[in-house]
Amino acid sequence: MSDKCFITADDLAVGYKTPLIEHICFQVREGEILSLIGPNGSGKSTVLKTVAGYLRKHGGTVLIENTKDDCLSPNEKAKKMSVLLTERLRSDRMTCREVVETGRYPYTGHFGLLGAEDRRAVDEAVELVKMSDYQNADFGEISDGQRQRVLLAKAICQEPRVLILDEPTSYLDICHKILFLEILKKLAAEKQLAVILSMHELDFAEKISDYTVCIKNGAVFCSGPPADIFTPDTVCRLFDIPKELYAQYFLSSHR
Amino acid sequence: MKRLFLQTTPLPLRTAVFFAVFLLLTAALFCLNLFVGSANISFGEAFRVFLGRSGGTTAASILLKIRLPRTIAALLLGGALALSGYLLQTFFHNPIAGPFVLGVSSGAKLTVALVMILVISSLHTVSSVVMILAAFAGSMLSLGLVLAVSQKVQRMSMLVVCGVMIGYICSAATDFIVTFADNSEIVNLHNWSRGTFSGTTMDNVKVMTAVVLLGSVGTFLLAKPIGAYRLGESYASNLGVNVRRLRMLLILLSGLLSACVTAFAGPVSFVGIAVPHIVRTVFRTSKPMVLIPACFLGGGIFCMLCDMIARTVFAPTELSISTVTAIFGAPVVIAAMIGRKRGDGHE
Repeated sequence: MSDKCFITADDLAVGYKTPLIEHICFQVREGEILSLIGPNGSGKSTVLKTVAGYLRKHGGTVLIENTKDDCLSPNEKAKKMSVLLTERLRSDRMTCREVVETGRYPYTGHFGLLGAEDRRAVDEAVELVKMSDYQNADFGEISDGQRQRVLLAKAICQEPRVLILDEPTSYLDICHKILFLEILKKLAAEKQLAVILSMHELDFAEKISDYTVCIKNGAVFCSGPPADIFTPDTVCRLFDIPKELYAQYFLSSHR
Repeated sequence: MKRLFLQTTPLPLRTAVFFAVFLLLTAALFCLNLFVGSANISFGEAFRVFLGRSGGTTAASILLKIRLPRTIAALLLGGALALSGYLLQTFFHNPIAGPFVLGVSSGAKLTVALVMILVISSLHTVSSVVMILAAFAGSMLSLGLVLAVSQKVQRMSMLVVCGVMIGYICSAATDFIVTFADNSEIVNLHNWSRGTFSGTTMDNVKVMTAVVLLGSVGTFLLAKPIGAYRLGESYASNLGVNVRRLRMLLILLSGLLSACVTAFAGPVSFVGIAVPHIVRTVFRTSKPMVLIPACFLGGGIFCMLCDMIARTVFAPTELSISTVTAIFGAPVVIAAMIGRKRGDGHE
């Protein structure tokens, strides 16, 4: 694994009209997965949206491969970073494959026609997320689990170096959660992607991440490798769960 | 059997087949519009006129000075109207948007009527370019109002109600002006304010060709960002689309195209919603590269057909074009609304 930091947030302050969370620092190297956890409404999405450039920064910097993100043109940035949002993608009469093809946008010419190289990238992405069975189905008519995989394929064929995912597994059943995270893990390793994702499933977050940032009450509550974070004590304090309830719901089942 | 064929045909073939059908229909209706009318002109006579062998006859002047410009106007302005509607639908991510229901056409109608009366009473003539500029200003004003409202209410149904109200206010003001400014030069203002392709001259055709061409080519050049924008604003901007600039261009082009229509033909209802809906249903795609040219042809076909009906069914009395387009267009709009409820129910 290379030591190069692909995306770095330094003293980042995020928020809508006023700063909501300040002093956020993290680094993600190529091939690593960083997870953001925290209670509902703590601001995980706000952090992700700011890193992705949808919201104005209230302070600090985001570096993408040693370049400040503000210095990149929209097209350059699109080639480096792709996102998978909780916001539903509109897909009026589009097949799944057409949705994936939109990921080639930054690479195509003025009329957006796909060349051989673009088609190869789309085929590869379709193969990687195992969606070839339903690639010609209407995107509006497939299940949530399949939909997330199509969006992942779209994000991959954008050939980014950084992948940002906002609660990608929230509406999936357990089987699709595992399937999705397996694909993501494989991708991060094979394509040497730097992945940042937010999630609510602590058990999965622990297993998939290389580093975890916890957010609570407008501040970074704590951060570190999963082994340090996912202890009963930290989890209870982060989510305000009484110890005995934690023991009742977590420990008996799988520890 | 036919339905089965249509549903299983692969997309490129389907697209090619329907483009061929659209082109054929365009050509057929164009010719029909030239030959059908209250003055009986035989096929052979018309043929000679177009070969330039019988200039100066009555038939020649009817064909070249009345029917030809009128047919071209129906083709071009119909196409412009359909594209204008398509652009607004793209902007609002909603198939129920269109220049007529959002009050854009009526806003343009009001400013054109005002300018016509002011300029005609002092100069006795008014150039097409001035009319288009006036219509453009009116379109932008009423569209600006609708956009201001859209900041407050997100629901498209409320926006349409608001647009219809703006339309009524502008129409009332126009009627008021037309009624009280009744002198001989502006007698045909009354016909125009109800919508008609009649009275188009070859000079008008030159100007409208230039404007419609500009607007249509401009729209076609935006096919790529429009394709990304249909995913929604956030996904589009992640793909590198300058969303603010695109939204502005969508509004400007849509305003320009519908302004051109209103300046020459007055308000024409429902084409802007009905045609893109029919085209999307027939081509079963949302690809802008397909939809933009198809909408243009579809609009031309729709308006040529409606105009032929308007001038022949009760000949020699002419119906206003909006009467006919509403009869065919409004049911399609209702179908579009029901289809949207049943389809992807999310906003």
